Amino acid sequence: MDLGELVSCVGSLSCLVTQVSAGLTIGLLLFLVASGLTLIFGVLGLVNFAHGTLYMLGAYFALSAYAATGSFLVSTLAGTLGVATFGLLIERTLFRRIYGADVLMQLLVCYALILIMDDVVKIIWGGDFLKMDMPDTFRRPPFIIGGGIVPLFYLVLFGVTLAVALLLALCMGRTRFGRTVRAAAVNSTMVASLGVNTNMVFAAVFAIGAALAGLAGALSAPIRSVVPGAGVSILIESFIVTVIGGMGSIGGALVAALLIGLTRSFGSIGFPLFTEGLMFLMMAVVLLLKPSGLAGKHPA
Amino acid sequence: MMLKTHPGGPSRRGILMASAGLGAVAVTGFPMIASGQGRRPIRIGMPTILSGRVAQLGISSRDAVLMEVDKFNAEGGLDGRPIEMIIRDSRGVPAEAARLAREMISDGVDILFDGEPSSGGFAVHEVVRETGTLTLHINTETSAMSADPRQRFWNAFRVARQGIHDSVAGGVYAAEIVKARNLRRWMTISPDYAYGRDTTAEFVEYLRYFTPDVQVVGETWPKLFQPDYTENVTRLAQGRPQAVYSCLWAGDLVAFVEQAALYGLFSQSQYFAVNMADYTTLKQIKQLPRGVHSGNRYLSSYPPQPANAAFARDYNRRFNNYPTNWAWQAATAVHLTTAALKKVGGTDPRQLAAALKGLTIDSPFGADGKVTMRAEDQTLVGYAIGWGTTIPTEPYVEGIQTANWSQIFQLEQEWKKGKGWA
Amino acid sequence: MSRFSGWRGDVLVALIAFSLVAALSLGVGSHALIDFIIRLGIFGLLALSLNLLIGTAGLVSFGHAAFFGSGAYAFGLLMQSGGWSVPAAVLAALTGSALLALVIGVLCVRLSEIYFAFLTLAFQMLIHSMVISWVSLTGGDQGLMGGIPKPPFLGVELARPAHLALFSAFCLALSAVLLRQVIRSPFGVALRMLRDNPQRAAFLGLSVFRYRLGAFVIAGTFAGLAGVLMALYVSGAFPTFLYWTTSGEALFMIMLGGIGTFLGPILGAAVFLFLSDRISGFTEHHGLFFGAILLLLVLGLRKGMLDWAVDAWRARGKGRGV
Repeated sequence: MDLGELVSCVGSLSCLVTQVSAGLTIGLLLFLVASGLTLIFGVLGLVNFAHGTLYMLGAYFALSAYAATGSFLVSTLAGTLGVATFGLLIERTLFRRIYGADVLMQLLVCYALILIMDDVVKIIWGGDFLKMDMPDTFRRPPFIIGGGIVPLFYLVLFGVTLAVALLLALCMGRTRFGRTVRAAAVNSTMVASLGVNTNMVFAAVFAIGAALAGLAGALSAPIRSVVPGAGVSILIESFIVTVIGGMGSIGGALVAALLIGLTRSFGSIGFPLFTEGLMFLMMAVVLLLKPSGLAGKHPA
Repeated sequence: MMLKTHPGGPSRRGILMASAGLGAVAVTGFPMIASGQGRRPIRIGMPTILSGRVAQLGISSRDAVLMEVDKFNAEGGLDGRPIEMIIRDSRGVPAEAARLAREMISDGVDILFDGEPSSGGFAVHEVVRETGTLTLHINTETSAMSADPRQRFWNAFRVARQGIHDSVAGGVYAAEIVKARNLRRWMTISPDYAYGRDTTAEFVEYLRYFTPDVQVVGETWPKLFQPDYTENVTRLAQGRPQAVYSCLWAGDLVAFVEQAALYGLFSQSQYFAVNMADYTTLKQIKQLPRGVHSGNRYLSSYPPQPANAAFARDYNRRFNNYPTNWAWQAATAVHLTTAALKKVGGTDPRQLAAALKGLTIDSPFGADGKVTMRAEDQTLVGYAIGWGTTIPTEPYVEGIQTANWSQIFQLEQEWKKGKGWA
Repeated sequence: MSRFSGWRGDVLVALIAFSLVAALSLGVGSHALIDFIIRLGIFGLLALSLNLLIGTAGLVSFGHAAFFGSGAYAFGLLMQSGGWSVPAAVLAALTGSALLALVIGVLCVRLSEIYFAFLTLAFQMLIHSMVISWVSLTGGDQGLMGGIPKPPFLGVELARPAHLALFSAFCLALSAVLLRQVIRSPFGVALRMLRDNPQRAAFLGLSVFRYRLGAFVIAGTFAGLAGVLMALYVSGAFPTFLYWTTSGEALFMIMLGGIGTFLGPILGAAVFLFLSDRISGFTEHHGLFFGAILLLLVLGLRKGMLDWAVDAWRARGKGRGV
């Protein structure tokens, strides 16, 4: 523990700028994965233990697209849309059969999917860890703001993830589709009786959730190594986010993800060996005091 | 994944026999071994990691073994007896490695190549301590395996580089640069598990041994499988060190380098990354920063010997990939084993062990063209260790300074005494 | 079921099974068979204990390996510290695992099943991470090194594989008898009622929390025993023991054998080990094979082999009008 270091950091503008900008960026990336998880859970009642696999696929799709075209835009779109398509595919073939099934069934199907996809990825892209390139424009020296360091690429990540978060909030809050989805989350039978094709709604929600995970994978591929099995650690973090935020709540997930991002970035200064423990501690505290999460409506 | 040298390993044979209604025979053992004693192949079992996160290293170890074994067989083997490799995937699970070793031993292998890193390596070590099978550990770098007398027994040998050797060599090299550039404020970023902690502590110890006024002003320890290093990178940025040490490796090192480069850290401090100079890492870093100090894991240009370059070329041609640190170690295991086999003329484990002890052979990977299996603790010495700085293109590392083995021996002995091991 | 087939019947069946295994391992004496019996004892016990949670209590734990690991590490550390006899260290390791299960259980069992599955997973990952980081105690990623001493007790020499196989089979048989009594007891009846009809259970004034916590601790303790056997088998303890993949494999075994039949998990463990050895013998893509098998089982058969066999038998019996 190094509280003196932490105090002096909070007291210095340069340290604050660096840590806050890094924490928010990492938090927003995490939010993309967690929001898909929480959305799928809220509407479909499915705990997608294979969500990390979607993140991993996004990274691989982006990597191949970038190698082929050299365009960051194309690679991001490929990651997002590719995983959305893949999500649609597994929703129609696998998950559709287990809606309403007990948790054991859901867990086992996801577990099987993780096992299969880790190997499929290995067959297609090889078992080696890979690294996606990034455009030279992003490689310029970092901005110095108030003495703090902010790399251009992190600013790009911040901008894109924030825009997607806002778009998601708008889509869920203000559009007809969003209202249908929210209604389906509460009572899908009633929505179906109103003549809405709930099958379509479910498929769309799963595809959107998958697309968000794919986007996160695609965006982080240039700065993280891409490797079979990369989904698991992301899965655990995003689960922590959804538990703290409240299962099914997108707003809660946003708050929790930013909280985790900042905990990580300041934790590495104040509690270098206990940063991970801090996240679990936060989760345990939330579970003990408010089991439904910060913004949860579903009773646990 | 039974391999090309000899199709149809024991398990497949077991299935065939069982399905032919000979279930009882298959259960009691593999009597096929008994037949044809005269020209029976020398069978070597090898558990290693062929799937999961470390698969690329295990695969390179397997490939190098196959390449060298094929060479030995093509030259007529041991009086016409070829070597047959039985290579199985442990998936990186130590218990599975131990089980595979046991299974291979009960299937009657003559020699075991343990292709596991330290965790699985110690698991296999315990198995062969009980069975007395001649075993060459080819990827265990943890010094304690051979340095600690309690871990030693007659039938286990290590054919791998060793943490303490690397730390001494790195300390000597870094101390020179510290003196030349007056680098006093250091930070470290290393993985938060046994390898990272031990290696970092040893490096710092030897750095201080040569330059006592060096200060470590901060440490940051990423977790195993941590996907993102931003928090560790910003921690380094806050500390404003003059030099940074890291023993991150492979995918973790690549991710760290990319993120640190975006934060402009490489222009602020001198970096010492002991595991950088390995092709799996060098090839994946898209814009390799210039001037990062690194030890050689495996480089085709170092040691600068025709035999080493030829090894890399053959390997590259056959597997369309580059050798790794695990590849040269595996090849060396084959070289030592075949030399001992020829000396003994048979596969008696006691005789082979006696032949291996103190054996010196010509090697493409030796500091002066030779490597030795040191008799006293049955571990490999004399392999080439060098430190240099990175450049963005082939050969990736320049200005390599070769470590001095007599200095390594001297400090290693002092280190052992300090631990109560010598 | 007749009055004579209570615990006496179970003991009888266990004794017969144990004698058969003993005769087999001592008589045939093949290394491969002895190894298989040891591993069947380990994983059969792990799967059986997990099924107390899943099959009986309806609590889907994805973190059962945490207690498997705690048993292995506690036992290994005690034996390495010297001065402990095997039975004493086993008891201490089981107590340790029970305590760990109590702590994690208090946090987890109050929650709905979805949270429960995830939280057990998360705590297991936390413990895994702690074991990796606490190098001075656990040896970190390299595991407990240097072997585990196995001093003989009561004429049992666990350093000899045949003895370990018998000990392992004995532990499995004894645990199976004990677990079966737990399931038959009023406590087990209450667990099933909580699973199938929580309203009625609440109406009867049963404390969901206490009963589930009880089941969680019992299951964790038996998983700890499986861990002890594992530590004896590999002469060490490794972080993979408590990684999520080990929990996944235990779930797989249960699904393979059947959750509705008491002996299903043991059959599942046996089939899993057999398949695992065969599949990793001819391919590096065992995940692909196992995943496909699992999908077929879950989506096709929808139950394990023994469940399926029992149901088929009953259906046949009905068809004949018996």
